[in-house]
Amino acid sequence: MEDNLTILALESSCDDTAAAVVRQAKGGPAQILSSVVFDQTKLHATFGGVVPEIAARAHAEKLDVCAKEALIKANVSLFDLDAVAVTAGPGLIGGVLSGVMCARGIAAGADLPLIGVNHLAGHALTPRLTNNVRYPYLMLLVSGGHCQFLIAHSSSDFTRLGGTIDDAPGEAFDKTARLLGLTQPGGPAVQQEAQAGDPTRFAFPRPMLNKPGCDMSFSGLKTALRRARDEIIAQKSGLTRQDRADLCASFQAAVTDVLSEKCRRAIEIYMTEAPSEPLIAVAGGVAANTSIRAGLERTAHENNCAFLAPPLSLCTDNAAMIAYCALEQYRNGDRGKGELVARPRWPLDRHSPAMLGSGRKGAKA
Amino acid sequence: MQSDPLVLGFDTSAAHCAAALLSGDQVLASRHEEMGRGQAERLFPLLEEVLAQGGATWHDLTAIGVGSGPGNFTGIRISVSAARGLALSLGVPAIGVSTLEAQAFGTSGVVLSAVTAPRDQIYIQRFNGAPSTPPVLVALDALPDDVAGGTPTCIGAHANEVAARYAGTPGHAAFPLPEAIARIAALRIGQDNPPPSPLYIRAADAAPSRDAPPVILPDET
Repeated sequence: MEDNLTILALESSCDDTAAAVVRQAKGGPAQILSSVVFDQTKLHATFGGVVPEIAARAHAEKLDVCAKEALIKANVSLFDLDAVAVTAGPGLIGGVLSGVMCARGIAAGADLPLIGVNHLAGHALTPRLTNNVRYPYLMLLVSGGHCQFLIAHSSSDFTRLGGTIDDAPGEAFDKTARLLGLTQPGGPAVQQEAQAGDPTRFAFPRPMLNKPGCDMSFSGLKTALRRARDEIIAQKSGLTRQDRADLCASFQAAVTDVLSEKCRRAIEIYMTEAPSEPLIAVAGGVAANTSIRAGLERTAHENNCAFLAPPLSLCTDNAAMIAYCALEQYRNGDRGKGELVARPRWPLDRHSPAMLGSGRKGAKA
Repeated sequence: MQSDPLVLGFDTSAAHCAAALLSGDQVLASRHEEMGRGQAERLFPLLEEVLAQGGATWHDLTAIGVGSGPGNFTGIRISVSAARGLALSLGVPAIGVSTLEAQAFGTSGVVLSAVTAPRDQIYIQRFNGAPSTPPVLVALDALPDDVAGGTPTCIGAHANEVAARYAGTPGHAAFPLPEAIARIAALRIGQDNPPPSPLYIRAADAAPSRDAPPVILPDET
């Protein structure tokens, strides 16, 4: 095992172009030497969602710039690196492809191994990057594109306990913001508005709480919100600010309730593995929502489980998590041999049946 | 005496993966493989084969020439991203070369260079030594007047139809595409070259959000 490992990673699977350099001394904590993120929010603002072609175009002209900046900020040269890592999926294929090709170019020219990393594994290993937590731990990935409970056993072995069968909560927050004339991304805007709202005014559904297990659904919640909005508009030809705040607060309360209850069930299953230091960690942009975070934290403590929420900059998409994941893969012998292929669909759990997109192209997540 | 510059040119802007290694005026090795998909996986192995056949390594390169389109959006990004990564690690310039210009390169007089675009359209540009119009995307059945002039040699996609429309003669590119890219890049070594950028010509397909925001009323008292 090398004493000191230093890895440069690229990430471009959604709407953030990111590069980072992470170093870890043998047996020591991982150190983020640099983590650069160029976000594309403004490019997509008028479209009410991430437009894949626009994202791909931006990534293609930013990745190398981002990588260079990460090296400079980390004060390391390519000669100091042990490997280059890149998100090889799952995600929007245009961006993933640009990342993989740029990383291949860097690795080829610097004679370095190239390690392909699963984006979800990057999120899932973040608690080890930030707090060096022990396996097995429970993880809730909750973002604009993903929502699943996982038990992490190692950098390559995950068990998915359940997840959304349709939309991710982040999508629902964005949609809510659009329906109510709030800014994108929807999460912070809805949370801000909800502060002055009554979370009990609208009885929005808590989908799938009556079903056993940890699966979730959020698309019906969007529809319910739209219906409640339209009813008010039909009555008075618009929304008052109070109506809007109440809609936001009631929507946020529904998401919090669903995630908290499913979290309780996930902890129950996780505890049967008798972990020595029981812990649930969250990752993904939705983990930044204070109401959801408080609900999850309460649930964790009620069930004798520690709760960890990494800093927001490491919860949302970044390349430090990809570099860290590659570090663990490298220590486990991954030298990037064999063909690195960009994979738009790439479930973390290779054993459980697929949840989403189990069609011709295979499971999405 | 300084040795000849060694330039690797490559392109994946259409249904192919192609590369050529140029030393001075001489092509040391080249490959052209037709493929509808799989360029991302094939590109680096193919480049390494071309280098090996030319007896060179990555570190011998003076510059990289990359086909920047127009063409297939994903295909262009595959090569441009690879070229940018290589330029970063090798410390050599990556020079973007338009496929329209590469097709016209080496043919004298007026040239109309065209590349296939989706839905019975073509990307077309007029050259006379240097570009004399900007590249445009046009429908085959509505070829515009502004690229007309002289008796052009028509090279590339739908050369017969283009020649008929503009009183020209259909012709062939003077060099295979990756070789032309490498030759043009070689001429630009030492100039102030911007990083290669895909030449899309067509804007991304995206419709603004359909959700109209609600009217916000004054608060009830």
